[in-house]
Amino acid sequence: MTSTPAPVVDAVRRNNVHVSGNIGGRPIMFAHGFGCSQEMWRFVAPAFAADFKVVLFDHVGAGGSDLAAYDRGKYDSLHGYAEDVIEIIEQLDLWNVVYVGHSVSSMIGVLAANREPARFGALVLVGPSPRYVNRGDYFGGFEQSDIDALLDDLDSNYLGWSSAMAPAIMGNADRPELGEELTSSFCSVDPAIARQFARVTFLSDNRADLRAVTTPTLVLQCTDDIIAPLAVGTYVHDEIPGSSFVLMEATGHIPNLSAPDQVEKQIRAFLA
Amino acid sequence: MTDVVVEPDSFEELYERAPCGYLTMTPDGVILQVNTTFLEWTGFSREQLIGVTFRSLLARGSQLFHETRYMPVLQLQGEVREVALIVIRADGSALSTLVNSVIARNADGTPKLVRTAVFDSTGRQDYERDLLAARRAAEASETRVRILRDAAVAFTAARTEEALAEAMVTSARDAFSASAAAVLLADSSGALVRVAGINPLEGMLAGGPSLLQSAELGERSMLVVRSAGDVDLVLPGLGHSRRAVRVSALSAVPVIDDGARVGALVCFFGRERELDEADLHLHAALASQAAQVLVRIRLQRQLEQLALHDQLTGLANRKLLQERMGEALASSIDGSRSMALVFLDLDGFKAVNDNLGHSAGDAVLVAVSNCLRSVVRGSDMIGRFGGDEFVVICEDADDVAARGIAERIVEAVRELQEGISLAHPVTASIGVALYEASDGRTVTPDDMFTAADGAMYESKAAGKDRVTLVRL
Repeated sequence: MTSTPAPVVDAVRRNNVHVSGNIGGRPIMFAHGFGCSQEMWRFVAPAFAADFKVVLFDHVGAGGSDLAAYDRGKYDSLHGYAEDVIEIIEQLDLWNVVYVGHSVSSMIGVLAANREPARFGALVLVGPSPRYVNRGDYFGGFEQSDIDALLDDLDSNYLGWSSAMAPAIMGNADRPELGEELTSSFCSVDPAIARQFARVTFLSDNRADLRAVTTPTLVLQCTDDIIAPLAVGTYVHDEIPGSSFVLMEATGHIPNLSAPDQVEKQIRAFLA
Repeated sequence: MTDVVVEPDSFEELYERAPCGYLTMTPDGVILQVNTTFLEWTGFSREQLIGVTFRSLLARGSQLFHETRYMPVLQLQGEVREVALIVIRADGSALSTLVNSVIARNADGTPKLVRTAVFDSTGRQDYERDLLAARRAAEASETRVRILRDAAVAFTAARTEEALAEAMVTSARDAFSASAAAVLLADSSGALVRVAGINPLEGMLAGGPSLLQSAELGERSMLVVRSAGDVDLVLPGLGHSRRAVRVSALSAVPVIDDGARVGALVCFFGRERELDEADLHLHAALASQAAQVLVRIRLQRQLEQLALHDQLTGLANRKLLQERMGEALASSIDGSRSMALVFLDLDGFKAVNDNLGHSAGDAVLVAVSNCLRSVVRGSDMIGRFGGDEFVVICEDADDVAARGIAERIVEAVRELQEGISLAHPVTASIGVALYEASDGRTVTPDDMFTAADGAMYESKAAGKDRVTLVRL
């Protein structure tokens, strides 16, 4: 087998990377979770612009990413996404990166930092879960059937059979279209990709990767988060050696939208 | 007709009894207000719902969707429409709904409240779910058919084992979203060697290939290792290295020809994978399609081999010699290296044939060909040009080397004993054509054969059993 050099990848274009803020400052990279795009950080990222070099990007399949770059094999595990994160960091030549990952991007950050620890200065994991499905003694909060139900909901909402198929099937073209709004500009995601990303997000098991983390890590836990319950956040904290843990007052799974001030405050306190 | 006086509905009645559920919530989704319709649909009391989050009323799958999609869009866009969510009633039964929400804002633009309308979509939803299930099943089967069809086209187009193996890798990655795939084929010793694709476990330990060598894969129709824990059980000792190459699951199916395992198609996954029956069938179908093509390719190669070799001695025949001569000359010219063509005609062979018969003659030819094999260099190509004429193509040979090879042949043939009758000794007359590329002049294969043949006749004329060298 002859090996040809890998083609040069333009990760910045592929992942719709936006760099702003203090260009000479320490890089802080925000990674969005499943179901949305870099807009998830709209209320948090600007708060760091004065002193940090702010890096925002979309995972392939989300937002303004290059859908043509979607390779079902590569993105069939979180490793493919972690590879992209590393490629962005290398292309921008970032060092001492503060990586802030929300939800599934927490684990993507863990994988990336474990592969290239020299590039990372801090990990902030917002609502992390290394495994969503319960197994044995491990409590992830969900059963396989819950994940199957989510995939049903995704189909109901994204595939919008009613917009494309129902009028044809039912001869009822005046039916209101379902789901059309969801594919509008906000948090746009490709439905077929969202399906696979949902599987990869909710059916991965990255518990074994937590112990290997050497980057200083902050776990940001919300109150009453059904996606990443307190027990899971505590587990992540216990497994990552030397990690810090903060239980915020913010409720739900997306403090970056519901309580951006708290998120900013905790990140700054951790980095101080 | 009498006039009917219609009392206008009170706003309160309209709110409480509207044909949809109304809820008012905090921006975080805590229910502040709920109408009677929603309470009747769900069987909860008002007290039970005030102060709890809307998401806590949802089925688990819908909770996931609510948190990852509904809330982000609502908070970023200020409204969200016709989202399909399943509400769990007080009695535990499911209510399919379509939900609209809008954020009401304070004067300063900060979110104040979320106003939500919930529509019962049970009939429509059941119908949709059935359609979705049917559509998914149809898509899945269509995908399998497409993959098999594409594979059939790609496999059939393959002319070599390597091309077939590449096509198998492409099909397998496509079929199973595998992070990597590899095709291993048995070499002459029966060991499986990677011919195409990537095997992340390769060379990691004896376990990688040996797993695939193992009787396991030969005996079972298929090997499926679904999780990292299972990989560590099947391949003990990999541990850290396995994590380093990010393999959490794998599947392998043997390529069987005539009951024997001649190869394997292996897929590697970066996470736990639950391959279902349909996947396993597809996996096996790809391997069996490939097996048929592999048999055809190998048969063709055998035929080509037969067409280019002399049946009696197994040496290259005239067609192959001429091909190779062209290649050798071209590379000699490119590399400015000299090369030689050694042309050999047996002396005394006609007498053997005439007096002892053709089978004795054949034995002499076989003996001479074995003799040639033992004295030429490893890189030289020996051929039977016809009758009792043999040829050796010597790349990268100057006059000293060429003459040396020719002299060794003359001597070895003279001393031949096996298959030779004392009454009918056999010797070799040799002509050597030496091409010295250094002067930049080019020659054709025909020039070389003609020159070597002429030199051989000079050896005959000068008394046989000797070497004559000419330069071109």
